[in-house]
Amino acid sequence: MNTEERVVGIAQMAICHAPSKLSCLGLGSCVAVILCDPGLRLGGMVHVLLPSAPNPCAIEEKYADTGTRKLFKEMLVNGAKKERMWAKLVGGAQMFANMNLYVMDIGKQNALVVRKVLRELGVKIIAEDVEGSRGRSAYFDPATGKILVLTAFAPPRTI
Amino acid sequence: MADEHAGRVLETIKEFANIGAGHAATALSALLNVELMNDVTSCSILPMAKVSEWLGGPNQVVAGSYTQLCGDLRSGILVVLPQDSAKTLLEHLTKETIELSSLNGIQKSALKEVGNICLCWYLIAVSKMIDIDMIPTPPDATVDLLGAVLDIPLATLGARVDTVIAVHTCFKAVDRDFDGYFLMLPEESTLKLILDRMGEPH
Repeated sequence: MNTEERVVGIAQMAICHAPSKLSCLGLGSCVAVILCDPGLRLGGMVHVLLPSAPNPCAIEEKYADTGTRKLFKEMLVNGAKKERMWAKLVGGAQMFANMNLYVMDIGKQNALVVRKVLRELGVKIIAEDVEGSRGRSAYFDPATGKILVLTAFAPPRTI
Repeated sequence: MADEHAGRVLETIKEFANIGAGHAATALSALLNVELMNDVTSCSILPMAKVSEWLGGPNQVVAGSYTQLCGDLRSGILVVLPQDSAKTLLEHLTKETIELSSLNGIQKSALKEVGNICLCWYLIAVSKMIDIDMIPTPPDATVDLLGAVLDIPLATLGARVDTVIAVHTCFKAVDRDFDGYFLMLPEESTLKLILDRMGEPH
């Protein structure tokens, strides 16, 4: 596979082998779910917008529940082993806290649903950079399993 | 024929949006106590997914003020100021040096007020034009990555909105320029109602 850096947009999913990399830019209340099989240096990322999918649902990648499941399945299809797989979460901020009255905290809901689904699937979450009030961009390197998290006005973090 | 029709609809919406942005500029010049001219440089009708690209990519830092309409019309409205425009504007308003990374309470409040005034005058102008009351919820403002600022409108309206009426306007004062972007995200039924009232069959 060629080396490439793929940007995963809202309601999109991507899987790649090292040395390719994946990123999500400008995550607000959206959550990036990152799954990795370090044995294969295989990584997957889905950029979900809303907590729960309606039924029927046209775009599974848009929702935390269906998107996480789809990513998990896709990892297995690509040869990942469930026992080796871990997950990391980035995003889920509350961008407009004062609009709370009529916009519920979608970011928090997204993160909750992702955690619940991962628990059902038996995938361990080993790191999170979630919630708060700041937007994030996440750059994931399956070669090392590290995620670089950038925010607007803070030093970069690695999880 | 179809093209001609689409062109006319676009012209109608442009007129609608330009008048809104024009009023916002007038209100801003009163607030800042400077003469502001605004020439609308572009108005586009975009699908939701293209908005961040149109604004220059999700990774840049912007100031955003967001409100939603409650009442008969259903729409989200977002005012986006690029980083340097927001900084210049706030500096002029507060007479202080502004660091967007660490706004204090009064500066944050000033930013909200700028957004509030822009949003409300835009709405007052367009609601007079189509003779329907538009009632905005109190707005909130933030300075952050563009992609993150767009998340809330996307998440709360995403299922029901696909068309975004986007205006880029440049406010020109004697010694400085500000760029501002007005995004109106109407639900399908609201967009139809607006076109109806503007006398445009759709």
